[in-house]
Amino acid sequence: MSPSPASDAAASAPSYLTADRGMGSWLTTRDHKRIGVMFLVLTLTAFALGGLFAMLIRLELLTPGPTIMDAMTYNRMFSLHGIVMIFLFMIPAIPTVFGNFFLPLMIGAQDVAFPRLNLATVYMYCLGLGLAVYGMIQGGSDTGWTFYTPYSTTTTAVVWPVLLAGFVLGMSSIFTGINFIVTIHTLRAPGLTWMRLPIFVWSMYATSVIQVLATPVLGMTLLLVAVENVFGFGIFDAARGGDPVLFQHLFWFYSHPAVYIMILPAMAVMSEVVQAFSRKNMFGYKAVAMSSLGIAFVGFFVWGHHLFTSGQSTFASGIFGVLTMFVGIFTAIKVFNWTATMYQGSINFSAPFVYFLGFLFFLVFGGMTGIALATVSLDVHWQDTYFVVAHFHFIMVGSTIMAFLAALHYWWPKMFGKTYSERWALVAAVMVILGFIFTFVPLFLLGNMGMPRRYYSYPERFWPLNVAATAGASVLAMGLVVVLIYLVVSLVWGRRSAPNPWGSRGFEWNTPSPPGKENFPETPTFTHGPHEYQTPDEVKHAA
Amino acid sequence: MPPEGQATFLQHHFPDAPTQEHAARLGMWLFLATEVLLFTALFTGYALYRYLFSETFHAASKYIETSVGLTNTVVLITSSLTVALALHAARQGQGRRAAALLAATLAFGGVFMVLKGFEYHHHFVTGQLPGRFYAFAELAAPGAAMFFTIYFLMTGLHGLHVLIGMGVLGWLAGRAWRGDFSPAYHTPVELGGLYWHLVDLIWIFLFPLLYLI
Amino acid sequence: MAHATESAHRGKAHGAGRYVAVWVALLVLTALTYAVRRYDMQEPWHLVSALLIAVTKATLVALVFMHLWDHGGATRLAVLTSVAFAALLIGLVLVDNATRFPYANPPRAASYQDPAGAPRPPAPAGRAPAH
Repeated sequence: MSPSPASDAAASAPSYLTADRGMGSWLTTRDHKRIGVMFLVLTLTAFALGGLFAMLIRLELLTPGPTIMDAMTYNRMFSLHGIVMIFLFMIPAIPTVFGNFFLPLMIGAQDVAFPRLNLATVYMYCLGLGLAVYGMIQGGSDTGWTFYTPYSTTTTAVVWPVLLAGFVLGMSSIFTGINFIVTIHTLRAPGLTWMRLPIFVWSMYATSVIQVLATPVLGMTLLLVAVENVFGFGIFDAARGGDPVLFQHLFWFYSHPAVYIMILPAMAVMSEVVQAFSRKNMFGYKAVAMSSLGIAFVGFFVWGHHLFTSGQSTFASGIFGVLTMFVGIFTAIKVFNWTATMYQGSINFSAPFVYFLGFLFFLVFGGMTGIALATVSLDVHWQDTYFVVAHFHFIMVGSTIMAFLAALHYWWPKMFGKTYSERWALVAAVMVILGFIFTFVPLFLLGNMGMPRRYYSYPERFWPLNVAATAGASVLAMGLVVVLIYLVVSLVWGRRSAPNPWGSRGFEWNTPSPPGKENFPETPTFTHGPHEYQTPDEVKHAA
Repeated sequence: MPPEGQATFLQHHFPDAPTQEHAARLGMWLFLATEVLLFTALFTGYALYRYLFSETFHAASKYIETSVGLTNTVVLITSSLTVALALHAARQGQGRRAAALLAATLAFGGVFMVLKGFEYHHHFVTGQLPGRFYAFAELAAPGAAMFFTIYFLMTGLHGLHVLIGMGVLGWLAGRAWRGDFSPAYHTPVELGGLYWHLVDLIWIFLFPLLYLI
Repeated sequence: MAHATESAHRGKAHGAGRYVAVWVALLVLTALTYAVRRYDMQEPWHLVSALLIAVTKATLVALVFMHLWDHGGATRLAVLTSVAFAALLIGLVLVDNATRFPYANPPRAASYQDPAGAPRPPAPAGRAPAH
């Protein structure tokens, strides 16, 4: 399917942005596209808040000893940084923004399966955000985002608001997942078989499965901590025969699959970007599609690798360590296939592709350090040091946030019909990537040297690397601010974009940019898979 | 509601009614799967502490009244029957019969909650309370307080779901009485019924695991 | 075309008799689980028999009352997957606690019992009873 003249005519018709006017029409919308835009505003606000906490952390760590705050305040800073970043940005962002906006467009549907439920998830998110902010005003949690018992059940810091926020945000996540699964099962347009689905859809499906199965366990566990903290009875209380490590089992049963909730959508975006910017369709489509399901499945078997030094039995630790190795296989499959997709493709070296390259390198390095950490005998030394912090930031920032930025730039013309300054985009991408490297590579070194995490002071021998990390963080932050500026400029003063500036043959580009309120005046029919840059004949002969 | 009005329940983004019905059902089952995993966190705690404190759990289980638990099991099983029959009636277009059966289901739920209330009262009075509130001198072994913590948390969460289910059933009964459902459209009854069956399912496990240790 | 199931039509064809039959079966199984408990059995078998009966009851409710028998693959997969993962969580947690260094588990008696052959740790001064 190629863009038709009809879509240009439709472009002059009101888009989903302008079709209905007034705040009320947005607050009561059932349009998945508007919901995606609302989530964009909400999650970026949360990202700014989490980033603020990050900068405060890095400022504190600029010098050994207290710099701008005391130890108790520092505990609250890193706790809130983690809670806000993970529950309010990393987990929801790509699914609720780009999943909501593009899933129906990619499968030829008019909307998701349950549009009113979709709107409800926006309000659940707002409630969760409100509870989290209320919790911050009450002083915030000082337990770390991991809420380990018995500290979280006995601390006098007011933790129940952020715990309740986590529960509510979890419900938002669950209902998004249910919506996506049912949408993909029931609303595919005629001709769109499972094996013709965009890889983005496969990865969103896998993400949704994790959201549905894992999140309820977290919700219950956070509630149990809140009950024990507020009312004084619970199942983690050692004085009553409770096992505090039970909390860790329950918490990580969700939180490990949660990291796949964070990375699978990023991989989803990157699969689309690599095909569009290499003008080649996915090498090993089936392997990449299945590897998403593989990650989702195997990701549930490995949570005990967070408990290696918590008193878990060596037998169980051995099991979890071996199982963790298997997860790397599926990521490797994706990395090989993305690379093979680029090979002999026609590369378009603009901002989304630059972010893809950053994503790829940082995913490989971050992932390899994950495999290293999965080795019990090594983890004993690295546990609770900056090595672990660097590992997960490599994946979360170096991969997931790069993917988010890539998605934002790839789909900006589609969502808003505006162009942004390519020159500033490349400048910002370089700042983000270099800033990232200078922030987090020193953390690997610090962790290996033995600097513990969650400490507000450190011995002098760690000082230079901490200064480097803070400097890097400042460059990273500035790069992100530059992105914000030129994107806002683009919205207000930007030139109208062409319907398909990248020449992408992803299915979503068959609609106007921005799309109309109604996705498809007539139900489309699909006769082949996405990103077919060669005709079927050429593909056959080239093999 | 006249038969012609039934077509208005089809939403614009679904191509036809069977697809919409299938989607609603799949969505509800996925939600039930999340409820199963919600309770799983508590079942995990139960499994661990029963393993660690097996004799104490065995002893503590004697202090919750098996005959009440058995009665409640029969009550919930019967309520599952009535709600299944309510869906059957709604499918035949027998709105009033469906409403009566839904109301019966709600009543059974009420009976369950009343019996549970009597049990809880007994536990309060004897000091068989969770965690730090445990004051039952007759059974003071390690793990006794934990049994009652688990008991209250699991039956409490279950009871909350019974109350929510009763609310849903009441709403459905009202709609059925007004004639909102027909052979062509009875999805809300089906979905509400599924939720109620889950409540029954969880109790099917809670009863032997708590009362018959 | 994403297809709906034809099950709604299948469901209408049968009478209400199957529900009553299942109800009777559930009552019988409930009586059975109560009766079995009154037997004195070795510990694992109490739990095993209780779980087997409960699973049978649950399967009847799911297949007949909840119409899982009539409806298609995706819903059954959702149910089976959630149950499998529940078993995974419970199973591996138990494996952990069952294979731990004994003193890493919550104390199970008012005073520490010596695990076979392990040296008894010295009692810390002023330690409160386990409960």
